[in-house]
Amino acid sequence: MSATTIDAPVQETTSHAHTDHEVGFIRKYLWTYDHKMIGLQYLWTALAFLFLGGALALGVRWQLGFPGAEIPLIGKLLPATVAIDGAIIPGGYNMLVTMHATIMVFFVVMPLLIGAFGNYLIPLQIGAGDMAFPLLNELSYWLYVLSGVILLGAFFAPGGAPGTGWTAYAPLSSVAAYNGTPIGQSLWGAALFVNGLSSIAGATNYVTTVVNMRAPGMTMFRMPLPVWSLFITAILLILAVPVLSAAAAMLFADLNLGTSFFSPQGGGQPLLWQHLFWFFGHPEVYIMILPAMGFSSEILAVFSRKPIFGYKAMVYAMIAIGFLGFVVWGHHMFVSGMNLTLSAAFSVSTMVIAVPSAIKTFNWMGTIWRGSIEFTTAMCFALAFVSMFVIGGLSGIFMASTPVDLFVHHTYFIVAHFHYVLFGGSIFAIFGAIYFWFPKMFGRMLNESLGKWHFFLTLIFFNLAFFPMHNLGLGGMMRRIADPTVYEHLRQLQPLNQLCTIGAMGLGFTTFVFLWNVVMSLRSGKKAPNNPWNSNTLEWTVASPPGHGNFEKTPLVYHGPYEYSVPGLDKDYLPQTEPAPENARLESH
Amino acid sequence: MSTAALTNDSQEHHGASPATAKFGMIIFLISEGMLFAGLLGGYFVLRWAENGFPWQAGHSWPPSKDIAKLPILLTSINTVFLIASSCTFHMSEVAVQKGKSGLAWLFVTIALGSLFVGVQCYEWFHLHHEGLWFNTGGVYGSSFFVITGFHGIHVAIGVLLILWCFLRQLFYRSFTPSHHIGLANVALYWHFVDVVWLFVLTLLYYV
Repeated sequence: MSATTIDAPVQETTSHAHTDHEVGFIRKYLWTYDHKMIGLQYLWTALAFLFLGGALALGVRWQLGFPGAEIPLIGKLLPATVAIDGAIIPGGYNMLVTMHATIMVFFVVMPLLIGAFGNYLIPLQIGAGDMAFPLLNELSYWLYVLSGVILLGAFFAPGGAPGTGWTAYAPLSSVAAYNGTPIGQSLWGAALFVNGLSSIAGATNYVTTVVNMRAPGMTMFRMPLPVWSLFITAILLILAVPVLSAAAAMLFADLNLGTSFFSPQGGGQPLLWQHLFWFFGHPEVYIMILPAMGFSSEILAVFSRKPIFGYKAMVYAMIAIGFLGFVVWGHHMFVSGMNLTLSAAFSVSTMVIAVPSAIKTFNWMGTIWRGSIEFTTAMCFALAFVSMFVIGGLSGIFMASTPVDLFVHHTYFIVAHFHYVLFGGSIFAIFGAIYFWFPKMFGRMLNESLGKWHFFLTLIFFNLAFFPMHNLGLGGMMRRIADPTVYEHLRQLQPLNQLCTIGAMGLGFTTFVFLWNVVMSLRSGKKAPNNPWNSNTLEWTVASPPGHGNFEKTPLVYHGPYEYSVPGLDKDYLPQTEPAPENARLESH
Repeated sequence: MSTAALTNDSQEHHGASPATAKFGMIIFLISEGMLFAGLLGGYFVLRWAENGFPWQAGHSWPPSKDIAKLPILLTSINTVFLIASSCTFHMSEVAVQKGKSGLAWLFVTIALGSLFVGVQCYEWFHLHHEGLWFNTGGVYGSSFFVITGFHGIHVAIGVLLILWCFLRQLFYRSFTPSHHIGLANVALYWHFVDVVWLFVLTLLYYV
């Protein structure tokens, strides 16, 4: 069907955007049904957790770089479960690692990608007034807060926080005598259970909203890629998170009710935990990267002033990644004792994921190829996302191969790998998304000079902190050891460890540049116009920030979201609400 | 792909349209299904990894002779109550669609649901008395109590939801032939819990 005859559905457009009516503080900021405010609640809470999780990481890095040395300034303030005389003890080290990872996965990356941007963007980008179930949406946020309180409570539990790693392998995690922190571990399980309820509530809302609430003309294949990515992510959440909830409940029962799901003495199976955990855990990996891919795609297209290269291929690649995510969990367990035929099957299915990932990567390059690129901070982060994701993705293929994995498993090579996808991938994309959508969220632009400082320092320090970990891992440094210097073969690697620590400290410092930028821009940043980036998607057709109910009139959508530099137009973008003129040749239908 | 999506039911503060609400409930129930799949899948592994399949030689379940027998007859009768409650709930929905209150059918449903929970509670106490509990009988006790516990909590929540429907209908006549999505969604949930029970019953009691 040609672009000029796109059937613009004729529909009575009803006004359902209210003028801002006066509401009290509680109804505006704490208990709100407005998806935008809920998104911001997630944003601020998760950013607070980002600083906490980062501080824990610095404790970890301090100990690895300078084992047994007193932590400057705050060392003496730490509780006896973590540090004695200001120096971190091995048990305390395990707690720091565990809490850092749990917080970063469940309380920073997921809430930022899905809670904050998912809530904020989905209704705006599909032309809806709000989510399908606003009350459920707010409940989801407060369940997230509750789960955070439960998790932080573990710090104050007798014996301290759990120290079994974010994977909490049984029977270490499930037998009190082994881990020494049964209460902390139980709180960990309870926190993940409640956090799971929050995720399921949110995901139910997203799937329903995307399927049922799109504006007239917004077909599935006219949706912006962030919405597609969040939609697929939500489906993964629906199917994967409940399995973790079941496992967490079993762990909780083992610790508190005397059940023996994971204890061989009672006929239980420690491996069962690993299977349940990774059945959730591998889709979780894609839950944390798919939205990042969606946001970066959007940013790359806008600042290259070009249509996304292979829009449908991008969508199908994400669907393929989501599906394959459910059949590869065994690759986390190659060293756990597995039938070799089965491990070969998991190897193959894992390597197959490289295909859709490569499709996406090449399409991103195709998108920026010969574009008129504008190096805004958001664009810089999106470009860095692609580069870092490629490094993290390629090192992932190493582990997919069982013989290689037997060698590098439980080494710092793995730590380097997943930080390249989780920080270099997800967090870079999150920063890019913040710089890109901040003007819409707060009506002010973030400072670009500070943004560039933030970007380049982050890029440098990130690589300084994590690239040497590849070498450390291949040099034989194991994960989850509190003091590398006790091993003869690791002593010569200690300078690399100190390099990583310096990089991590630089990253910590750089985050304050970001914080400073946010605070100053909120106070006195340049006022943001409705559409500062000349972008096509629906959120840029309304005020910055949008009023209650988002759209004055239900928007009508005439074409896809990536019509940039269309030949025959007098401007290089064409908002989705504007019909194309007769002579224009559109990419989308 | 040029068929426009003519769906926009974003009505501020009026709640989602019935179709949307129903869709959301189904998505949620799929998630619930995965919760029970995780629990029952774990049970499957624990049981058959150690003891073989029922048709294999050397199969023994419960793993030891000293473990208390599950009251299969009582539970089967209890299952009839639960299935009947799904039927009565359906009758109340039919009644509401015809413009009647449906209150009597709802009341019977609440009674049957409560009866089921009551019998399950009795069964728990009985088994506890016989020496089978979370922490005895190894994985046999573990999985029995955790899985029936999870299911029991779902039934109890269901009874409360039906009670909520009953009170809404009694005092406000909230559910009319044209608008009864709240009732329909609770019914969906209730039927789902019923179906899950059939899996639990088969795997835990019969096989």
